[in-house]
Amino acid sequence: MSEKLRQHASLWLSLAVVLIIGLWPIATGDALDRETAFTVLSAIALASSLNILLGYTGYVSFGHVVFFGFGGYVGFYTINALGWSLWLALLAGGLSAGLLAYLLGVGILRLRGAYFALATIGINEAVRAFINNFRPFGGPTGMTLNFSVYKAYGGAMHALELVFYIMVALTLLVTLISYWVRTSKFGLGLLAIREDEDAAEVMGVVTPVAKNWAFVLSAIVPGMVGALYFFKNGTIEPGLAFPLHTSIEMIVMIMLGGQGTVLGPIVGAGGYEMLRDYLLVSPLFKNLQLAISGVLLLLIVLFIPRGLVGWLRQRYAKVRRWLI
Amino acid sequence: MRRKLYLLLGLLLVASMVLAACGSKSSSSSGATSGNAKTVTVTIGFTQSKTGKYNEESTRQSDGLDLWIKQVNDKGGIKLGDGTVVKFKTVSYDDESSGDKVQQLYTRLITQDKADFLISPYSSGLTASAAIISEQYGKIMMATGAASDSIFSKGYERVYQLYTPASHYLTGAVDLLKSLDPNVKKVAFVYENSKFSTAVVKAAKEYAAQQGYNVVMFEGYDKGTTDFGAFINKIQDSGAEAVMGGGHFQDGSTLARQLYEKKLDIKYLALLVAPPDPSFGDLGDAALGVVGPSQWEASANYSPESAKAAGLTWFGPTSADFVKAYKAAYNEDPDYHSAGGYAAGLVLQKAIEDAGSIDAAKVKAALDKMDILTFFGHIKFNTTDAHGLQIGHSMIYIQWQKKDGKLVKEVVWPKEGATAAPLYPLKH
Repeated sequence: MSEKLRQHASLWLSLAVVLIIGLWPIATGDALDRETAFTVLSAIALASSLNILLGYTGYVSFGHVVFFGFGGYVGFYTINALGWSLWLALLAGGLSAGLLAYLLGVGILRLRGAYFALATIGINEAVRAFINNFRPFGGPTGMTLNFSVYKAYGGAMHALELVFYIMVALTLLVTLISYWVRTSKFGLGLLAIREDEDAAEVMGVVTPVAKNWAFVLSAIVPGMVGALYFFKNGTIEPGLAFPLHTSIEMIVMIMLGGQGTVLGPIVGAGGYEMLRDYLLVSPLFKNLQLAISGVLLLLIVLFIPRGLVGWLRQRYAKVRRWLI
Repeated sequence: MRRKLYLLLGLLLVASMVLAACGSKSSSSSGATSGNAKTVTVTIGFTQSKTGKYNEESTRQSDGLDLWIKQVNDKGGIKLGDGTVVKFKTVSYDDESSGDKVQQLYTRLITQDKADFLISPYSSGLTASAAIISEQYGKIMMATGAASDSIFSKGYERVYQLYTPASHYLTGAVDLLKSLDPNVKKVAFVYENSKFSTAVVKAAKEYAAQQGYNVVMFEGYDKGTTDFGAFINKIQDSGAEAVMGGGHFQDGSTLARQLYEKKLDIKYLALLVAPPDPSFGDLGDAALGVVGPSQWEASANYSPESAKAAGLTWFGPTSADFVKAYKAAYNEDPDYHSAGGYAAGLVLQKAIEDAGSIDAAKVKAALDKMDILTFFGHIKFNTTDAHGLQIGHSMIYIQWQKKDGKLVKEVVWPKEGATAAPLYPLKH
């Protein structure tokens, strides 16, 4: 038993961190803590998903928010226009984002380095432009839920609580996926692609297939988070669904925590969101918060380029087992 | 060297947290008894776009609100029937003009800062996000700077709109064009692909078609567009004689400037949001002749007399008093965003006075019954199918004209409120 515990030490640690953030608002019973934890957890879920592609496979996607927005739109549409339940909408959001990733992956994963990064930005803009002109999704006006939709979930208050529990579950799920990928043979193939794609191919990794599945895996949960987020938000429009800066923030979070590790994006996203929340509402900094978080990020990227977890791993050999 | 930097970073963080902890203890609404009269301080919460694309409009809006609070408090607050004196204070946060944090911040305003009443963020999209939170906690939210119709057909009971809704924004510009030149038939709509502008132009397009116009172009541009070259060429190809549309301030003024620079041969240009802003005049000759719908203008002639004539109750300062106070406080002319911010407070004040209480249910009942004329215009809310939708207020149309070599804003429509004859056709 203790051997098993030790073997998966880093998984337990990662799950524990997510659980603590998830249980904290339940313990305090405070709605504000719940809202804060929701944004922190959604950041963790998005960053951990992107980490599968960016950290493990070494493909930098600057437009990853496209899956959040697209899944959000599909999920929102199924609730608003088709009258589906939130559960089905989550499924629809995740599957549609995964499908989109699969189709895109076939095309653009052939590109490497800067070309891939540029293509992902282009795709985000292209999908946004498409939705802007797509009538069933409301075009630029977007869609707004009727307040009575929440009645099916025991009123808005309970609906928001339910949304939070689902968010906790999704974040735990993405942590499990991330750990599984990191420790599986499939993940080993991805790491090989990251180090040297041609060498990986020679060693027997079927790189197009592996990359494409990494892309799909990294898109499904963001799609579900999108469906959940916009259900809670009550309104969706292209500007809210495809913000390019969120993509960049996701990358920053991963870099902060340490790319290519399971715990890194969790720590990075959690730390980044909490810092931003704190600066946004602190009486002293609330007018300067963007400048201060910018300076802090610069310092961290300059002096701890491997991210926190990467730095700890490098500095203290003994903790490596705990910090995969 | 590196160790020193970490130390510095750590110290900075610690210092900031300590300072913040010291500063954050002064929130939550309070009641104090002095002598016989009880003073209650009511907290008004809102988010402001201190950064991002709505910064300009949103800042003016909260400046207007702040002025109202200052005036009410300086006068000693509102005295209710039972002798209670109500004073106001605000709590606000930066929403960065983006939806990410709006719900979180409104939850904070309600649960932590104990806001009694809320003012909406600027823009319809952010207001729709905030409305769920305010409704859920049973808080009244005055929606100013949010002109979309759609929010108000979604079952919200406590959101009240100050602005004329989007569906009536440009219809007057069509009427004005018709009165100026019955021969013009070809109209082009070029608009920002956003919730608000699309709602406006869709309604205006329908109205124009009803009025016998031929809509030769109906095309949206993305938020943040800075080069309108392609659109301008297309307008030229379509043979349009009149152009309507726009979106928010930045894109609207850029579009006007580029239309002017390309010397496009059109007779009439009506844009949303940008022209009524005082800084639109900085465009110089590019601003000349441009028409814009405005929720409010300083020269609009609403007065206690016109209230009497219309059989309405007058409430609050006159336009002249408001403009004077605003100029004294901020050293600039107020625009309609400023007036909307002030009016949000003013209408809330009237509702609290009518209700004789700060109890949300009583104030809501007073708002439902409200039918008044203020310096901002007629205020009356829909209480049936689209609860909270503004049905009293109407738009004013302004045009930039030259007076003694200086660019000035003149009211050109409706005729009864006009301060000058319209300049027509546009001379590019």
